[in-house]
Order: sequence, then C-alpha cells, then structure tokens
Amino acid sequence: MSEFQPKIVAFLCNWCSYGAADLAGVSRLQYPPNIRVVRIPCTGRLSPKFILSAFRRGADGVWASG
Amino acid sequence: MKGLLEHMGIEPGRLHFSWISSAESTKFVDVVSQVTESVKALGPAQNFIKREPKVA
Amino acid sequence: MRKAAYVQYAQAVPLKYAIDSANCIYFQKGKCRACEKVCPTKAVDFTQKPETVELNVGSVVIAAGFKPFDPSRFDSYNYANYKNVITSMEFERMLSASGPSMGHVARPSDHKDPKKIAWFQCVGSRDLNKCDNPYCSAVCCMYAIKEAVIAKEHAGAGGLDCSIFFMDMRTHGKDFEVFYEGAKKQGVRFVRSRVHTITEDKATKDLSVRYVTEDGALAEETFDMIVLSIGLETPPETVELAKKLGLELTSGRFAQTGSFTPVSTSREGVFVCGAFAGPKDIPQSVVEASASAVSAGQALAEARGALTKTKEAVPETDLRGEPPRIGVFVCRCGINIAGVVDVPSVVEHAKTLPGVVFATDNMYSCSQDTQDTMAQIIRDNRLNRVVVAACTPKTHEPLFQETLINAGLNKYLFEMANIRNQDSWVHKENPEAATQKAKDLVRMGITKAALIEPLPEAELDVNQTAMVAGGGISGMSAALALAGQGYETHIVERSDRLGGQALNLHKTWRGEDIQAKLAEMVAAVTKNPKITVHLGTEIAGVDGFVGNFKSALSKGGQTTSLDHGVAVVATGAGELRPSGYAYGKSPRIVTSLELDKKFMANGALVTGLQSAVFIQCVGSREPERPYCSRVCCTHSIESALEIKRRNPDAGVYILYRDIRSYGERETLYRQAREAGVIFIRYSVDRKPVVEAAGDTVGVTVFDPILGRTVQIGADLLCLASAVVPNDNTALARFFKVPVNAQGFFVERHAKLGPSEFATDGVFLCGLAHYPKPIDESIAQGQAAASRAITLLARKKIRMNGQVAKTNPALCSSCGVCVSVCPYKAPSFTTQGPFTGKAEINPVLCKGCGLCVASCRSGAINLKGFDTNQIMAMLEAM
Ligand SMILES: Cc1cc2nc3c(=O)[nH]c(=O)nc-3n(C[C@H](O)[C@H](O)[C@H](O)COP(=O)(O)OP(=O)(O)OC[C@H]3O[C@@H](n4cnc5c(N)ncnc54)[C@H](O)[C@@H]3O)c2cc1C
Ligand code: SF4
Ligand code: SF4
Repeated sequence: MSEFQPKIVAFLCNWCSYGAADLAGVSRLQYPPNIRVVRIPCTGRLSPKFILSAFRRGADGVWASG
Repeated sequence: MKGLLEHMGIEPGRLHFSWISSAESTKFVDVVSQVTESVKALGPAQNFIKREPKVA
Repeated sequence: MRKAAYVQYAQAVPLKYAIDSANCIYFQKGKCRACEKVCPTKAVDFTQKPETVELNVGSVVIAAGFKPFDPSRFDSYNYANYKNVITSMEFERMLSASGPSMGHVARPSDHKDPKKIAWFQCVGSRDLNKCDNPYCSAVCCMYAIKEAVIAKEHAGAGGLDCSIFFMDMRTHGKDFEVFYEGAKKQGVRFVRSRVHTITEDKATKDLSVRYVTEDGALAEETFDMIVLSIGLETPPETVELAKKLGLELTSGRFAQTGSFTPVSTSREGVFVCGAFAGPKDIPQSVVEASASAVSAGQALAEARGALTKTKEAVPETDLRGEPPRIGVFVCRCGINIAGVVDVPSVVEHAKTLPGVVFATDNMYSCSQDTQDTMAQIIRDNRLNRVVVAACTPKTHEPLFQETLINAGLNKYLFEMANIRNQDSWVHKENPEAATQKAKDLVRMGITKAALIEPLPEAELDVNQTAMVAGGGISGMSAALALAGQGYETHIVERSDRLGGQALNLHKTWRGEDIQAKLAEMVAAVTKNPKITVHLGTEIAGVDGFVGNFKSALSKGGQTTSLDHGVAVVATGAGELRPSGYAYGKSPRIVTSLELDKKFMANGALVTGLQSAVFIQCVGSREPERPYCSRVCCTHSIESALEIKRRNPDAGVYILYRDIRSYGERETLYRQAREAGVIFIRYSVDRKPVVEAAGDTVGVTVFDPILGRTVQIGADLLCLASAVVPNDNTALARFFKVPVNAQGFFVERHAKLGPSEFATDGVFLCGLAHYPKPIDESIAQGQAAASRAITLLARKKIRMNGQVAKTNPALCSSCGVCVSVCPYKAPSFTTQGPFTGKAEINPVLCKGCGLCVASCRSGAINLKGFDTNQIMAMLEAM
C-alpha cells in the first residue's frame, strides 16, 4: 500500500470513450483502479474550467477522452 | 491548455487527451494504464491545490 | 466446452443464466442441484418443462438464418485432423476480446504466435463437386479481409504475414472496395487461386499447400495456420420447417422470393428476412428485417392497436421548495458486483452523506419485483432524488427512469454510479481499491443528484403525412408501404414520369420482365387514394424538424408548401457516361442501359449478332470512383445470356476484373459459362484496348491464362459503366444530412441503421444510398417506410430534456453557438425583449454541449450536465 496511488479524473464522452469503458468491463479486461469517471455528453462540453477545477480539488491527473 | 497548466506549476504529464471509439475497449485499457503510469511517475500533485481542511 | 450453467454470450440481452440440461449433472445423473443451493434469489427452477403454446396470428416472419458450413466433409483440407486448420468462425472468436483466448491469436497446436496465416475462400460456396452449394455466400471475402487486417494490427511490430487465396474478390458492399485497397496497402497478400490440398508436417504441424498460379505455374508454400472462409447454408431443420409451411425453396435451399416482392415467400402471409432469404451481410439483413415487418403489418393494418393496452400515466409530483431527499440503491448484481466490491460498506458510506434519507442494497436492481419495491420505497420515503449504483447508464438508465416515472417522479431526478462495468468487472484482483472507487463514485453521484432539477420534455404532435423525394421504384415501394398502413403520402418526382432508372431496364437476374412489373407498380401508386404524385416538381427548400417539416415544392415556377411529419429520400442515381474505350465513336459501342433499350425495342443492332464483347468496371473501382457498382457484373451476364438466347452461336466475351455475382446470382454466372460465354480477366494496369474504324470494332485484351494477347472483332461492345449518384447537395443541405466523398448519402449506421439518417425523421433508400439491384432497392424502400412508421405511429414525440438553454441576460450576441451547433438549434431571437440574443430550440438540440463549451460569456447551460453539477462532482471526488 506504500506505493503512491494517484487520483485521476477521467472526463469521458458518453458516446465514445464511456462506451469503450463499458465494453472493457463486458470483456473483463483489467486496468488500474485510479480513475474516477465523470460522464459528459460529448467532449464539446468539456471546458478548461473543469480541468483546472479538478486539479484545484486535488486530482493528481486529468484525462479527457472523446 | 498544457502550456497554461505548466505556467501555473502543473506538469504537462498530468493532463492527457485521447480519442477512443466505443468499440475500442482494448485501446481504452491501454490508455488508462499509460495515463496512470505517467501520473504515478510524477508523484502527488503539489501545486495549485487549494489548501483547505478536507470535508467529506 | 461451456459449463452447464451458462450465458449465451457476453452481450446477450437479457444477460441471464440458463441451464444446459445435456451437460447438467442433475439432469443427467439425478443428483447435485448445487446451483439451486447457492442462488441467493432462488431463481433456479428444476421443474420447468418444455411446453407447446398455440398462437393465433395474421402474418408470420421467418428469420431462421443460416448455419456456418461444416468443412469436416472436405477430406482434402483435413479440417477434422489438422489442428492448425480452423474455420473463419473459430478465427473470429480468437480475435474477440471476450472470446476464449481474450483476443489473442495463437496456433491451436502449440499456442505460439503464428507468423504466417492463409485464408482459403469459397469453402462450401460456389462448389457443386465437393458440396451442393452452387451459390456465393456473399460475406466471406469481406470478412476474410477484415480478419486479416485485424490480425495484422494485433500482431503489431512482431509482424504477421497474411495471404488470401481467392477466385474472385467480392467486395461489392458500401465502402468495402476502399477497405480492400487499404488491406493491400497494409501488406495483405491476395493470391488468385483455389488451393486443392493441404499437407501437415507431422513434427512441426506446419501446413504446406500446393497451388497453381494464374499463369499455370505450380507453387508450394508453408503456413503456420490456415483459416477456411466457410460459407453460409440453410440448416436441415430450417429446410424441414419450410416444407412444413409449404414454402418454395431455391436451388441453394433458400426461401424463394421475387425481385418485386423481396420479402414475400410463395405462401401468402408468410414473410422472410435475413440469410434464410439468400446469403447476405448485416446491413442487408437489417434492411430486410424492417421490410418484412412493414409487409407483415400491412395485412394487419386494420387490426392495428386492437389488442394493445395503454399504460396509465402516474401524475408527476410537484417538488418545488422541497429540500433534496435522496435515496440510494446499491446493486449487488448477484456476485457481479458483490463478489468484488464490499456492498454493505458502500451502503453505510452513502448513509453518512448529506441529503441521503434512505440507502439499501439490492440483489438485482433491474428485476421486475425489485423495480416495484423501489417505486414503493420512493413513495413511502417521499424520495425526490434517486441514485442507483449498478451496471451502466448506457443500458439501464431508461429502465430506472421508468421506475421513477411510475413512482411519480420526473425521470431526470436520477443519477447512476457505474460500479460494475467500470469497477467490479475491471478491478477483480483489487477488491479494496474497487470498494474505495465505488464509494467515491457513489459520493460523486449523490453530490450531483442533490443539485439536479426536474426537466420538462417538449412534447410535439407528429404530422401524420409522409413525403417521399423521388419516384423510382424504391420511392414508390416506400410510398406503397406507407399508404398501406394508412398514412397520407406525397411523392415528389423531378421528371415527368414515375419509374426512374427501372424504365431503362430489361430483365432481372431471375428473368422477370421489368417493364411489366414496373407498370403494375406505377398503376398501384396512381390509383392508391392515399398517395399524391407531384410530377415535374422539385423541392425548393425544407423548414422545420422531425414531426413538423414544411417543404416548398416548385413546379413550373409555382411554389406550394407541403406539411409532413417524415421524409424519405429516394432520389436514385444514374449511369456514368463513359470516357475512353472509343465510346461515342461508333454506334456499335453502347452502355449497359443503352443495350437494354435496344433489347426492349428489338433494334437492328441486337438482331443477328455474331459477336459481342462486354467490358466490366468501366469507371468503377478506379481512384476517382473507388467503389464497386454492384449491379453491372450480373447485368452483363444477363445481357450475355440474352444474346445467346437470340443466337446460340454468337461469340460472347466478358472482360472482367472480378466477377461479382454474389449470392444466388452465382447460378446465373454458371449458366453463362455453360452456354459458352467466354470470360477473360484483365488487370487494371493492362486494360483492354478498343479501336473503332468504320463499321467495325476491335478489342484487344491480354488473357492471363493463355499468357498472350487476344484480338476480338465485335459487332457490339457493351461498356458496363458505373452507377453515379445524382447531385444531392441541395437536398443534403435542406435536410441537414451528409453525403460521402462519392456523392452517396450517408446512413445513420453502416450496419444497424442503413435505411435512416442520423437526423430524426428523415429516411433513406435505393440507389441514393449505394448502387444496388431492384430487389434490394424495393426492400430498402419498404424498410425506410417501416422505420418512418415507427415514428408516425407514436403520434406525439417527447424530446430529450437534457438540452442547452441560453441565459439572455449574459448573452453577448456573438453568434458562436449559432455557427458551432451541428444541428442548427441556436438562432437569434427576433421578437420581444431579448431580440438579438441567442435562443436554443429544444426540439433540435441533441444535448451535445458543444455550444456550452464554446460560449465565451458563459451564457449557456446544459440541463442535466450543469456546470455547478460537474463542479460538485469534482468537489466530492
Ligand atoms: C447502369 C445501371 C444498371 C443497372 N442494372 C440493373 C440490373 O441489371 N438489375 C437490377 O435489378 N438493377 C439494376 N440497376 C439498379 C436499378 O436500376 C435500381 O435498383 C432501381 O431502379 C433504383 O431505384 P431508385 O428508386 O432507388 O432510383 P431511381 O430509379 O434513380 O429513381 C430516383 C427518382 O428520383 C428522381 N429524383 C432525383 N432527384 C430528385 C429530387 N431532388 N427531387 C425529386 N425527384 C428526384 C429521379 O428523377 C428518379 O425518378 C441498374 C442501375 C444502373 C444505373
Ligand atoms: S466469392 Fe463469394 S463465396 Fe467466395 S469467398 Fe467471396 S463472398 Fe464467399
Ligand atoms: S463490373 Fe460492376 S459489379 Fe462487377 S466488379 Fe466491376 S463495378 Fe463491381
């Protein structure tokens, strides 16, 4: 547990990456548990404000995926 | 965007963008792993965090 | 082998287990019942017995499909004995991420990564010697290329050598030719040869094959693995079923249909679709599925709705002024979630959060009884926000929203936390972190839920009239299907006559007389009281949106207006005027359609012909037109046979690149060879040369089998010219629908939405979509009508409440939203106090949020994804 476990906010587009994430689950693919997903309707909705705000709230990383 | 963050003391390696179609589950996993690795390598974020007593 | 308790496949809907009695210890040996003991919901019932249910119905649709060909019958390929010879279906499973090898391609004999794979085409297709399947299975060329390309991508830098052995490469589907060319560039090797035997090296299990190249040389090569591209066939049970129902079958044992009645069987009231109606791929199967639905419905139109029950709507509770009372349901999903995530601790955590007045766990939240219980809990605890932590909103949000509606809550007062697909399933090895992640996700969801507001949904009446643009056979069949279900339909035809391209055609590949059938169709349209035909009329503009379009029709300088709820685009295509091959230099050189006209008129040119030459792919499959025109191979073969029928001694030559007589059209190709039509292949870098001098036409072509140049003197040269789309730019702009680089319209989804546009209320069929023969154009016309009727039948539509809204007080009238919106939803207000400020039409808005992010004044909010809600989620993280 001593290893650093970052918190990463993932803004995922409902139609693309969010679907891929669901499918990864269906296929039981395994990946690191560090991301916290915020579902957004489209990366168009993603304003820089959210990214800054995520860092301000203590996120160690931000990942935006369309 | 990355430039702006750097200006504010946040390493560019903390911000990632990607495009993944809803069928590309393996790509999704590859990218998550790679993003996690790269953030891990930078260690905890030190700058720009509002220092305030943690609620919740 | 699968276990006795199994799910059909990972994407099955519903995703429920069943017991395979043939492999169940209890059913076979009478003892065990272990599953009954462990099932927490007591769902296992061993007393269930098969029962016979009798139904009284007015129409029947048979979609019995196909069975992949079993190649163990072929001793020459030794599929049964050689481990490294597998079928394409098995290879497909290997590539699948949820398949047995998790997407990893490995040699069955030693599980090593293969370095060299070959595909053999037409296994169990186009073959009357080793099996009884005269037809082409129509899908295997394309799937083999796809498999090779994906396998190469998976292998990555390690490299994988892929070779496809084929007779004709049949990539006649939309965008398939481009994919084929791309595969060549990616290094997939294509070898034109049918391999006869495979031999296995007993020690290494490598496979060596001998084959004859096109120029007659013998070659030998070794592969790590061989994939047999097996065809489609009708299983004996289905043949039996067809016999019982008295349905006629074709020589290939598919349901017999007609070109003008593509989904009707020989028995009235019985319809077919999909591969049982002839081998075909997904898009064409989906088209036929819709077509058969509308045809089956037509006979029953009068009884429609007679047995349906309307659900009584629960009135929505008024929440104004109430503080949030949040209810949280954490789903165990059996062991799917609870096996990894500590569900009780997530529930306990939820209870500590502000606003939460109720939290519990459910075994299966989506089961009907849990749904009822949840509705009761919502009412009893006067909950006004609901958070469900379970699978994924993408599949289950509508279901839970329905529960809210039944409990009298606005359906948007709901939020889901994805703790299965994006948590328990993907962090199996790490239950602690998965539980922490679940808590975080639930907390984020609850924080957002506290801020959500009920959203109104705009409700609109759907105008019950349809407009069909184009009066060719696809447009007419759409109109007949719409009118057959009682909808007022207007056909707008630019020319002064109904029929389109079909007016130029002689016979179908099944030998039906097109003009006779077309005349029947035109008569049926003209005398149908529900159909109004506007000849010589153009569409000058379209206003409005789904349910309420207003089109301007212009005829001879006069403009009238037509209100309609849906539109079908059936504007067809034309024949390319060839350049080259001496076209225009001699009356003996004609196009396919010109030749048909001469047949129909029995002109001088087609009587007493001694020799005729056809050149295929004129203008198709070229860099400037990188698609296959799909109809021309069969068309030329049919015309060649017509010449042979008129004069069996005539010399008839077809010069081709690949013969693409897909499906059962293959039988026509065989007939032509039997009748003595000579087929000579040419390659694109060595095209035939045509000389027209005086009254003679000479054609010179290199014959790769003879290995020399052949000269033919022709009385007639027919150029099988490409199908080219009409200029569709105006229509595309009016309806806000896309056209591709070649000018064909782009459908909603290449596989699953072939007959509709992404724009609501606009549908597509016929040549305007992609080149296709008459039977497929008619099926798609019916399919477009079928899709349109699902909308018309609702009479009212509710629009999504998650739309963008401007705040006129903040709007600076910069117009960015107006220009950025792909759906043209924002516009400037023209009246009232906010004149000049942007407003957004909730009916057009799709809620994508593009305008929200681009507005520099922060004047736009996306309901349901408000800035403060997302900020709150980040705060809660
Ligand atoms: C060269 C060629 C050879 C073919 N050979 C065969 C064959 O051998 N066998 C076979 O089964 N099929 C063949 N076909 C295909 C067959 O012609 C079509 O499947 C069928 O006729 C398509 O009908 P459609 O209604 O989609 O299009 P069309 O017949 O093109 O009808 C479209 C109609 O829309 C009208 N229109 C266009 N734009 C507008 C507008 N903006 N507003 C209003 N009206 C408009 C046109 O005037 C036309 O009447 C061939 C096609 C071509 C081009
Ligand atoms: S030619 Fe037809 S049967 Fe042969 S592989 Fe291609 S699609 Fe299948
Ligand atoms: S002649 Fe037509 S159908 Fe045949 S391959 Fe060429 S473009 Fe395709």
